[in-house]
Amino acid sequence: MIPASLKKTNEWKSSDIVFCLEHVAETQQAWCAGSDFHVYRYDLSVEKPERKPFEGEGHTSYVTGMVRQDNTLITCGYDGQLCWWSIDDQRLIRKVAAHERWGRAITSSPDGSTLYTIADDMLCKVWDTSTGVLLETLQDHALQTPNHYPSMLYAVAVSPDGQWLATGDRIGHTAIWSTRSFEKVAELETPIMYTWDPRARRHSIGGIRSLAFSPDSSELAIGGIGKIGNIDHLGGPARLEVFDWQNATQRLEIEDNKKKGLIEQIVWAPGGEWILTAGGDNNGFLTFYNPKTGDLIHQDGQNGHIHEVSISSNFEELVVAAHERLTKWTMQTTQEKPDVHEEPTKESKAVNKADSK
Amino acid sequence: MNLLTRRSMLKAAGTTAAASNMAAVELLSQPAMASELARSGKNVILLWLAGGASQLETWDPKPGRPTGGPFAKIQTSIPGVEISELLPKMSTRLNETAIIRSLNTRIADHGQGYFLMDRGRRAEPGIEYPHLGAILAHELGQIDSKVPDYVSMYTSTEGRKQGSAGFLGARYNPMFLTDKMIPEDIQLPDSISDSDHRDRAALRKILSQRFAKSTQHTSVGSHENAYERVRGLMASDYLFDVNREPTAMRDSYGPTQFGEQCLIARRLVEAGVPFVKVARAWWDSHGQNFETHRELCADLDHCMSALLDDLRQRGLLETTLVITLGEFGRTPKINGSLGRDHFANAWSCTLSGCGIRGGTVFGKTDQDGQTVAEGEMNAGDLFATIFSALGISPHKEYMVGSRPIPIADFGSEPCSEVLS
Repeated sequence: MIPASLKKTNEWKSSDIVFCLEHVAETQQAWCAGSDFHVYRYDLSVEKPERKPFEGEGHTSYVTGMVRQDNTLITCGYDGQLCWWSIDDQRLIRKVAAHERWGRAITSSPDGSTLYTIADDMLCKVWDTSTGVLLETLQDHALQTPNHYPSMLYAVAVSPDGQWLATGDRIGHTAIWSTRSFEKVAELETPIMYTWDPRARRHSIGGIRSLAFSPDSSELAIGGIGKIGNIDHLGGPARLEVFDWQNATQRLEIEDNKKKGLIEQIVWAPGGEWILTAGGDNNGFLTFYNPKTGDLIHQDGQNGHIHEVSISSNFEELVVAAHERLTKWTMQTTQEKPDVHEEPTKESKAVNKADSK
Repeated sequence: MNLLTRRSMLKAAGTTAAASNMAAVELLSQPAMASELARSGKNVILLWLAGGASQLETWDPKPGRPTGGPFAKIQTSIPGVEISELLPKMSTRLNETAIIRSLNTRIADHGQGYFLMDRGRRAEPGIEYPHLGAILAHELGQIDSKVPDYVSMYTSTEGRKQGSAGFLGARYNPMFLTDKMIPEDIQLPDSISDSDHRDRAALRKILSQRFAKSTQHTSVGSHENAYERVRGLMASDYLFDVNREPTAMRDSYGPTQFGEQCLIARRLVEAGVPFVKVARAWWDSHGQNFETHRELCADLDHCMSALLDDLRQRGLLETTLVITLGEFGRTPKINGSLGRDHFANAWSCTLSGCGIRGGTVFGKTDQDGQTVAEGEMNAGDLFATIFSALGISPHKEYMVGSRPIPIADFGSEPCSEVLS
């Protein structure tokens, strides 16, 4: 099941920035939220879908993360609130003050029973999805960077087997936790993603922006940006590092100078055939890599930085949340072993650390 | 250039100390002298936000609007005045600060914007205007001062320009610190004794005076003047050493480079340096504006608060004007990289301390921050306001050859609403 082609089939402009979404391909229903603080429903089956806002006093700032559990959406936002929304009634059903600082992301356990949220209070909080009760608070990430500036906690991921949780911050530090004991079990460092430069740029705009475990939970992919040459923009290479996290060994290091910017999301194919990275600078990219070799399998782009991708269960449809738009893509796959469809160029560098040993 | 003014009068004022009280009163009765004394002992610290800070994430937030970004606004110590939640410490310290929310300087290009906000006027062929620091070093400095007139700490590489004192002459160029905060090469080398140095200075003076007689040019005099001050500057290196401050004081400014530079700025103005510029760069947030401001506003908020507190506690805030300014603000429109681009049509700055009516908010932008709705102010008006706050007439003129040049741009007027 290797991506052979990717085709953008629809684009719906929006007046605001869409940060997060969920969609169901079978019903062509999508739910998204972003910079106007509201949660919306889209019917993608019609040519020009009208977005319909959910009712209720939900978020008071950017909505940055969303998960769906059956007929409920749960969202987090910069206001630190956690909101539960009924899909059937299209209204707010619960609101919890979750974090002291800006909420960055939310994810759920594979069975949907547990939620994990992260925020700039540098805490990861564990919640009961059905009741909204706080179960645990995980603390590891420093409030300040080594350079005495506020740090940020951007990324969270749960392993497919549900046993492990990973959290990644601005300075390139990842903590891996047991979801049973809530003890920290491992740490990884990806300092290049911090992008701090004491002379050329006393400032950072990087950080770990995405995390994803491999299907067997043994590897962890970490996404961000590499060294930034242009100080004003997201002008650094999209950077992906893959670790055998239990042995703290870096296995892959990939930098893409063709499609630059932040990797905002990583999706690992259930069969392990590919890794999808999505993100961008001023514009967006969708890039598939061979997770064994780091070779580029397929790459495409679009107008508007990509913040999140929702993939259908059959992996044939992608809906993308991006800057001032939603886009829909169809993916053709093949069952054959992966051929490298695009030759790696000098702009795309992959280092397989296992092979090089 | 008309040098009637300040130097001769300062000399006169210096001798006045030994003269009768009546003589002093007679001197004060002359308007020019009254003006001289009104601004003596005044200082300026310019916190230069290089690259252009966002007014929406600092002094003029618009939460809930499409342009507003994710951050909330918070109530300040001034009833009805709200600023960005990214400046919580400053929100409790606005009693000595005026916020100007209605700058419309029109130039949204780094180079030209820097020139405009550094000089208060656009470039003009045939004349090299001095920058703010040079003007204030000229206006506020003492001719026989033992400390520098103008120190610029610019360790950032972004937007770094030493600038020129223009027609005021090299005497008013800054002591320009880029790599280290303690000036380099101002100590006598071991191979030269103090008496050797004095002898050399005497010889240089004889030769310079002979040269000056045959060369009528202001730059000759300016260089002569600079040499005259060498020994004073050599003795001022201790001012740049923050280790001479108590630990508690250093802690109050914090461990960042900007904090240390703000502490040095306070030490300098306390010692009589009339103009200190502290540049804090990397505000040019075309990408990731909110992450950038989350990081840099924390630095600005803490360091500016510590500086104002320290100046107030030392009784220096009444005589020290603290300015936060950059070359422009940032676009209300948020771009695809979650950045804001250059924007000069409706942006903000602050003036604190000397001559300022604290707690004032002057000007207003529209609900999305796209245009100035009330109290439009240009660069010339801002400079006229700064001069007025320091007791310098904004209508004062320099004579450049036979041409009168007003100290603030032609036609500009001070904003009386922010002046005390």
